[in-house]
Amino acid sequence: MTLLNYRADALRCTRCSYCKWIPFDLMKSWRFSKGCPSVDYNHFHSYSAGGRLVTALSLLDNRIEVTDRVIDSVFKCQLCGSCDVTCKMCRFDMEPLSALRELRFKLVEEGHAVPKHKSVMEGFRTQNNMLNKVKTKRGDWADGLNLRDLSKDKAEIVFHAGCRYSYDNDLNHVAKASVSILQEAGVDFGILGKEENCCGGRAFNIGYKKDFVTAATKNIKDWTNAGVKTVVTPCADCYYTFKRLYPEIGSEIKVLHMVEFIDQLIKQGKLEFKNSVPMRVTYHDPCYLGRQGEPYIPWKGKEKKIFGQVVIYEPRKPRYNGANGIYEPPRNILRAIPGLELVEMERIKEAAWCCGAGGGVKEAYPDFFTWTANERIEEASSTGAEAIISACPWCERNFIDAMKEGDTNMKVFDVIELVYKAIRKEDF
Amino acid sequence: MEKKKEHLDRIVGAEYVFDDPQTLEAYAKDLSFVLPIKPQFVVKPKDIDEIKMLTKWANEKGTPLIPISSGPPHFYGDTVPGAPGCIIVDLSRMNKILRIDRRNRIIIIEPGVTYSQIQPELVKYGLRVTMPLLPRGNKSVIASLLERQPTLISRYNYSLPEPLRNCGVVWGCGDISYTGHAGNGSYSLDEQWNAGHIPIDPRGPNATDFMRLLTGAQGSLGIVVWASVKCEVLPSIRKLFFISANKFEDLMDFSYRLQRLRLGDELLLANNKLLATMLGNSDQVRDLKEKLPPWVMIIGISGRALLPDEKIDVQEKDLTDLVQQYGLNLQSEIVGISNKEMIDTILNPSTEPYWKLKYKGGCEDIFFLTTLEKVPHYIQIMNETANSLNYPVSDIGIYIQPQHQGVSNHCEFNLPFNPNDLKELTKIKELYSKVSEELIKHGAYFSRPYGMWANLVYNRDAQSTMVLRKIKKIFDPNYIMNPGKLCFKSL
Amino acid sequence: MTLLKSAYQDLEDIVGPDYISDDPSIQDSYAFQWLAELVRPEQSHYMPRPVAVIMPASTEEVQAITMVCNKYHMKIKPISTGWYHWAGPIKDEDDTLQVDLRRMNRILEIDEKNMFAIVEPYVICAQLQAEVMKRGLNINIIGAGASTSIVASACAYAGMGPSTYWMGHNSDNVLGMEWVTPSGEIIRTGSLGSGDGWFCSEGPGPSIRGICRGFLGSRGGLGVYTKCAIKLSHWPGPKEFNVRGTLPAYRLPIHENFRVYTLAVPSWDAWADIYYKIYDNEIGYIFHRQFTLAGADLGPALWLILNDHTKTLNDIEEMVKRSDIKELTEELRISFQIILAGRSLRDIELQDKILDQVLAETGGWKVKRFCEDDMAEFTNVYLQRLGHKHLNFVWVGGYLGSWMQPGTPDFVKKYVPIAIKGLYRDAAGGLLVQCGGDALMGCGSTVAGGGWSGLEQFVSYDPADRESIKAGTKHMEDAITDAISNGIPPGKEAIYLSLGYKDEKIWDTLANSQQPIIFHFQRKIKEAFDPNDIGDRNYPTLPEDY
Ligand code: SF4
Ligand code: SF4
Repeated sequence: MTLLNYRADALRCTRCSYCKWIPFDLMKSWRFSKGCPSVDYNHFHSYSAGGRLVTALSLLDNRIEVTDRVIDSVFKCQLCGSCDVTCKMCRFDMEPLSALRELRFKLVEEGHAVPKHKSVMEGFRTQNNMLNKVKTKRGDWADGLNLRDLSKDKAEIVFHAGCRYSYDNDLNHVAKASVSILQEAGVDFGILGKEENCCGGRAFNIGYKKDFVTAATKNIKDWTNAGVKTVVTPCADCYYTFKRLYPEIGSEIKVLHMVEFIDQLIKQGKLEFKNSVPMRVTYHDPCYLGRQGEPYIPWKGKEKKIFGQVVIYEPRKPRYNGANGIYEPPRNILRAIPGLELVEMERIKEAAWCCGAGGGVKEAYPDFFTWTANERIEEASSTGAEAIISACPWCERNFIDAMKEGDTNMKVFDVIELVYKAIRKEDF
Repeated sequence: MEKKKEHLDRIVGAEYVFDDPQTLEAYAKDLSFVLPIKPQFVVKPKDIDEIKMLTKWANEKGTPLIPISSGPPHFYGDTVPGAPGCIIVDLSRMNKILRIDRRNRIIIIEPGVTYSQIQPELVKYGLRVTMPLLPRGNKSVIASLLERQPTLISRYNYSLPEPLRNCGVVWGCGDISYTGHAGNGSYSLDEQWNAGHIPIDPRGPNATDFMRLLTGAQGSLGIVVWASVKCEVLPSIRKLFFISANKFEDLMDFSYRLQRLRLGDELLLANNKLLATMLGNSDQVRDLKEKLPPWVMIIGISGRALLPDEKIDVQEKDLTDLVQQYGLNLQSEIVGISNKEMIDTILNPSTEPYWKLKYKGGCEDIFFLTTLEKVPHYIQIMNETANSLNYPVSDIGIYIQPQHQGVSNHCEFNLPFNPNDLKELTKIKELYSKVSEELIKHGAYFSRPYGMWANLVYNRDAQSTMVLRKIKKIFDPNYIMNPGKLCFKSL
Repeated sequence: MTLLKSAYQDLEDIVGPDYISDDPSIQDSYAFQWLAELVRPEQSHYMPRPVAVIMPASTEEVQAITMVCNKYHMKIKPISTGWYHWAGPIKDEDDTLQVDLRRMNRILEIDEKNMFAIVEPYVICAQLQAEVMKRGLNINIIGAGASTSIVASACAYAGMGPSTYWMGHNSDNVLGMEWVTPSGEIIRTGSLGSGDGWFCSEGPGPSIRGICRGFLGSRGGLGVYTKCAIKLSHWPGPKEFNVRGTLPAYRLPIHENFRVYTLAVPSWDAWADIYYKIYDNEIGYIFHRQFTLAGADLGPALWLILNDHTKTLNDIEEMVKRSDIKELTEELRISFQIILAGRSLRDIELQDKILDQVLAETGGWKVKRFCEDDMAEFTNVYLQRLGHKHLNFVWVGGYLGSWMQPGTPDFVKKYVPIAIKGLYRDAAGGLLVQCGGDALMGCGSTVAGGGWSGLEQFVSYDPADRESIKAGTKHMEDAITDAISNGIPPGKEAIYLSLGYKDEKIWDTLANSQQPIIFHFQRKIKEAFDPNDIGDRNYPTLPEDY
């Protein structure tokens, strides 16, 4: 696929601007009705999916050149996919989100990357992670846990902590909690430790497709060597990357997010909640687990017209519109934890507002990610919850960072932490 | 002078040009406090061509024209010449009902058609026109609608000019155009009709809502020569209900609720004085007033089209339930007057003499638009001012008519007086101007600024004045239409 | 077209550097407009580029921007939600400043008792509806749907929708308006001008709103509307709009005060009859011919596909061959939707009974499959919120509306067969979507209380295919010929097409209209309020010598 493949999408965009909002049927208030952080923060139409399609078209047709504004508008976007959901409410022939990614690939290929992303990518290439941390320290979080090292050993299940949970000292207790839960449930698994690689998903999203392929290829190879059949990750970004992008380059490994795994363990009776966790919480659907976490369906095909001009695809094209995201497993878990009360925000599931960290925004645009996160925190506060729960370290990091400047008492937890609290006596 | 008459004779025919002192005198004044000025002629054209010629001629000569459609008495000074040398264009001869279309429930009428003329005709077709409260029988339907007189069924009042739809206009500049949908078609109404273009949509044509410019204009922009008016299906059953209250506030929330639910047809609120004047002969008013509760809400329900009885039944039951929720009491009779008699008395054109004059022979009205919750404040202002001038508060009739489905409310104070008593006359004049000023100061919206109100209103609204003058210049550049009214004092 | 440095600076001084841009990519994103390809040279999807895009935050900023436009003789073109080719600059030779009003996005007040709300231009229908429903109130959402600006439909454009029949046309519903004229005055209409609040749109004396809010409104051609109050209506449903189901077909459970029906009749005569009977009996809350927009031949299958999230348009070929779908397609051929709402259970039951009698008298029926829970609940959400209006484009991303001449049902039924025949003919070559000649959609009544309808032919073309675009343009020209040769004035397509015409061609048309004086009056209005001609020709006028 190249951007040219999306020229028809651009021409068929009607500038309806649905992509700026959550699905209208789901709107419950004026305050929480917006869907696209990018256009809401930056205002000009070019900062919406529809606007970027125009930018793509204008570039393809040589109406414009790549200016700083073009770069700004293309990259100041979380690739959260809210636009994709709302656009596809009424359209079967549009792929705005894919087009936005393709537009980034084009710019990066042509040397128009965002400077801050360039330095992140240097770290990625040398240290195999997105945080520019030392590669050899990646497995430090698991020191002393006696986990099986799949760079030497074999197991059918690999626990992939991801860059953020590996390196972020404020958060890597969640990685620890994850493995404890797996152990508690008697799961046979291993980790790759310092040999674990970045999934490549964030590189992909900031336009570095080739780097992504390199990372993915290595990961798939490592897993194959270790006899891995299933990868379990607590990170929504990694999840999406493994689940939706890896199959494109040949991976057949099963992918589960920790919340799916825990949900299954609960259903199988393998986890027992011993403690009450008395807390009123609200759940934030991570974009890459929620609306973008739909199962991969292989497809290669082309457009065909029937009844004169009706566009269909031969063979049938999968429809990623957020209908089948991972929405219930985390909620099932939260509902199962004794003492915990789950209250919902207005924008949930396919209509969730992004935490602000995705698409390279965390790396390059601090004001923008802070604002986006605070929007969500305000929404969470409006429910009366005392904590915002997510299932992704990037969301959590972003909320924590954003809250540093605000005056909210909102706490941030991963679903996994709460599970851990419910099954273990001691605190961590 | 003679030359003028010759011209007018040529245009409308000598028998329809009047300059005898008696006629001129009759048109020189009305029952308002607007200073009398005698017109130079009164002419009675028969059709649009004559009006067009008159307008052309008036522009050439700079002679002002004042259109009048209703018969006397007039009350608000809008038809009193604002300058000497005016010609009254009395449209009473143009009283043809041009079309009655049952299926589309639309009629096309000329300006001289009155309420007492149209309603019986419409009955034959199973229709009726929503009316203002007890209009005089000779009140022109078109004039009433153009002046945005409130109508009794707020539910049908989707917009204040309702049920006025399209108009044919000879503008002050002499050009003719049709408003609304009719403005998209030919000048032949028959041709339009035969092509299926029924003048129903009031908007336009194009980017302008010309009809809205004509409403409230007091004839100062042009002369409406025909209009289409939307009708309701004639109810086959009607009932009236009454709710009594000691003070207006007790009825307020309930009124809001009824408006919101659009339950029932007629809905109005009257104080005992107003209701007594509506119901009684001149010598009964005082007695009746004493018998009546201080405030009465009158609610009409109707059954029309299919299943009328069931419609009535459902409305009555819903009304009964609702009244209970508000702790009020629904009565089907008040002061022993039967429901039928009530309907006949208050939902028809007024009998003679005009009802407001029954009590003392004269009556000044003060009216404006407001949201309902402000009414008590305005009543207080009215009463306090009356007290301060020793005008008997008990004589004041108060009429509240919800409009625009409850968003705005016509609030009217009737101040009866004896026109032959000079002292009373002086007092009423003072009261009238003082109350008007006070009310305006407190946010009462005088949307139809007649007489002395014009200055008070436009002085507060420089932007509207500026815009209206620009409009005037476009449609009546020589200021020949009813000069001196509104903010159109002079060129 | 470039903006003088000094002009840019003047504008930047008003809004600050973050809210103005003349970057070509920004310009293009405003030039790109739906329908442009039907009227622009080479089927270009772009209207002319604005010289810059600016985003004011207040009325005062709009006023200051207007003054700069006067100073530099630039056209001023406001856009709020903007979904039409006329929302962009119109003429290549003009310097047009696009004023994007999206920062003016507040609901300033909801007066629950007096049933109105005061809003800024970037408040959309869905937002306001969600807020007022909490208070048991509702708004008339225009046919273009939930994504549209209330200020735009109330002050500057058409203003009707499925609920107009009961809730009124937005030209009736608009109360006080705040209008920045092209010459830079701030005009407040009705009671607002007198400082007496927002509740009344008329007077004092003649209603000033008459010069700017006619049948169509001035569509951005005569200044900028910065606020308005809009009248609200009763909502006898739940305070929360709690939809269920899986996207794309969310479903709104049907509250006990409501009934949701798809009805059909045996003939177009019966169609007119049933409309008149519905008007006379005053039943119905939302009244619309909606589902036929997808074409009478393919529509029924499409709606069932949409209601099954596992299906895509790939399923349609097979589905239309199924005998049950064939039967359903015939059953639905002359159909429409009505939602009844009762203020009480008695009331809704009676309305139901009346409807049955009306159906019996006209030979009509309830379409069973479309009245089953899934479809009825989908119909309910679709018509109550109109959040699916982009389905207009479902087939292939391009849709144009032809016909739509407003009139009585008796008038409308006269052009229906011509419109149907015309679309079959024009789509026969395969360059337009062949979904059935009757792709006619329209309001039960575009005038409050009933009596006035209009059906718009939904013609779908592929905006990514030049030949299909050309076929779309040709269809519009054919529709005009079809109309005129049948003694019917041209419809909606004529307005669409005129965007591509030279001034002279437009003037010829206006001069040849039945009452050209209208456009001379409009010229005078323009001269009075826009002496420097900074508004564009969306506000139509005739030169003096025409
Ligand atoms: S991308 Fe989709 S939702 Fe956005 S403007 Fe284009 S068609 Fe509409
Ligand atoms: S991906 Fe998210 S931020 Fe980016 S355009 Fe779409 S909705 Fe906006």
